[in-house]
Amino acid sequence: MGRVFGDGEAAVHALSDATLRVHRGDYVSIMGPSGSGKSTLLNIMALLDRQTSGTYRFDGVDAQSLPEGSRTGLRAHRIGFVFQAFHLLAHRSVTENVVMSMLYNRMPRSSRRTRALESLERVGLSHRADFLPTKLSGGERQRVAIARAIAPHPTVLLCDEPTGNLDQVTGRSILDLFEELRASGLTVVVVTHDPRVGLQADRILEVEDGRVETLPQSYRTAPAER
Amino acid sequence: MKSQQTTRARFDWRDLIVEALAGLFARPGRALLTVLGAVLGIASLVATLGVAHTAGNQIISSFNELSATSVVVTTDRGFFGDNAPRVALPWDSETRLSRLNGVVAAGSMVDVNIGGDLTSSVPLNDPLGQTEFQVPMIAASPGIYPAVRGKLRTGRWFDQGHSERADRVAVLGVGAAQRLNINRVGQQPVVFVGDLSFAVIGILDDVLRQADLLNSVIVPEGTARELYGLKSPTTIQIDTEVGAAELIASQAAIAVSPNDPALVRVQSPPSPESLQTQVESDVNALFLVLGAVSLLVGAIGIANVTLVSVLERVGEIGLRRALGAGRRHIAYQFLLESTGIGLFGGVIGASAGVLVVVAVSASNDWTPVLDARVPLAAPLLGAVVGLLAGLYPAWRASRLEPVESLRASGA
Repeated sequence: MGRVFGDGEAAVHALSDATLRVHRGDYVSIMGPSGSGKSTLLNIMALLDRQTSGTYRFDGVDAQSLPEGSRTGLRAHRIGFVFQAFHLLAHRSVTENVVMSMLYNRMPRSSRRTRALESLERVGLSHRADFLPTKLSGGERQRVAIARAIAPHPTVLLCDEPTGNLDQVTGRSILDLFEELRASGLTVVVVTHDPRVGLQADRILEVEDGRVETLPQSYRTAPAER
Repeated sequence: MKSQQTTRARFDWRDLIVEALAGLFARPGRALLTVLGAVLGIASLVATLGVAHTAGNQIISSFNELSATSVVVTTDRGFFGDNAPRVALPWDSETRLSRLNGVVAAGSMVDVNIGGDLTSSVPLNDPLGQTEFQVPMIAASPGIYPAVRGKLRTGRWFDQGHSERADRVAVLGVGAAQRLNINRVGQQPVVFVGDLSFAVIGILDDVLRQADLLNSVIVPEGTARELYGLKSPTTIQIDTEVGAAELIASQAAIAVSPNDPALVRVQSPPSPESLQTQVESDVNALFLVLGAVSLLVGAIGIANVTLVSVLERVGEIGLRRALGAGRRHIAYQFLLESTGIGLFGGVIGASAGVLVVVAVSASNDWTPVLDARVPLAAPLLGAVVGLLAGLYPAWRASRLEPVESLRASGA
């Protein structure tokens, strides 16, 4: 069944006995009503939070046992994170915002800018490189955030409601972007409550009462039931 | 696979500085206001040190002008010394002292007891006006004139010849001349002291020492000895070269009273070094406290603003943590921002302080004096203050949990 890339099991207030397994190259969406604990799950997966019980293995290593410095290192090197609220620094240019994700990396200063421009190109924003984020539309801002997340070449991209603040059309373009990234080998995990976003993924998980269940294929064909 | 790539995130100092600067420039207005606190503190410290130093030097040079070159030898034993034996100063003290290296001029003088005789000028028949006055008489050696740095209004000073011949000549102090209604000496006006007449040969306009002379009739020593039977001079005024006063003070007593130098009293100026130190410490103590207080206020300002900035940038902190910044990185960044504010304030404050010193000096016609280390150390002090002020906010920033901070700002 291939190599185990990620495996999560957590039990905090929001999650109880949630079990999931994400393989390298997966495109997984995690759905569920708000407050169901899906963001908590994502935060644990991103090493931003620690579970209170159970184990979370990142790449086969028990993340709980890692010292803070190593967790920080993993965040810097292996994980890209996309926030619902974009979290761009308003007074720094688009390129600087993207470069920031490589500051805490072992990336040589000289190659950071090149990398940043490359990833901006990937998200189709080369022409906005010197703009301030405040001058961009919502969709463009989210694409900058994605460019920032993928610039250090992480192995997994974790997205928390990436289209939550966007209208349908721009949301669509973001989803297309995920599709592309995924095609290039990146593992993508998207947390969303929007079925249109969730349906895009290969595998749809649902968090309900802190438990994770895999939705059957039939969900795809009849989303209206939900 | 690179499964064990869990190396610690690393952060380069240059990146850190760039990030800190960017953080400051994001809100330039606030940063400048914060800098102002440090500027005021540092500027007042630098200005205090500079002005104190300058004023100290200034006081010295005015002392040099007069007091630091004045040595007075008297036989006066002081209030408690009345019963001590008095030594008679020799009549040739002037000659003896003039031989000392470092003496510019020396002269002796003594109050003459004229027994209540009144002094008058040429009798005027004025029934209403007073024509006779009690005017003190001082017998002086010729050298007293340069030794007190006197200035004649008109006429001349008497010389050694007048004294040796016991000529009946007199110089009037300006106060005495006014009372006696004498303002010209061209026609050799005469003053009568009791029954004795003296030809007025000059009017003394001003002296820098021994101001008694200005209200007296001054006669040559030889004249006074012959007419009034003076025993010896009581006061010797010496004008020394700059810096020689202390040496002359120690030698003068021996020169005029070789048998019993301890019996004469020598008044010499305080040594310049102790004077300067005293003046500076007086000025410093007060203003340094002021400077330190304003620096403290500045530091609190920096701490406050940095703390506000931490709370305001919770989202940025969360983001940086999510992007792989360690607690140290966050702490260093905020520390560096506050240190930068302090350093910047220190640089501006040092410049402002130097300007104040120059301005104060210019308005007083002083020469600005400032220890070169002060303006150089000031920016460092500012940086240290900024660093200390940033410790608590930086610690707060580094304690923030990434999830919490993202949540706090994300919603």
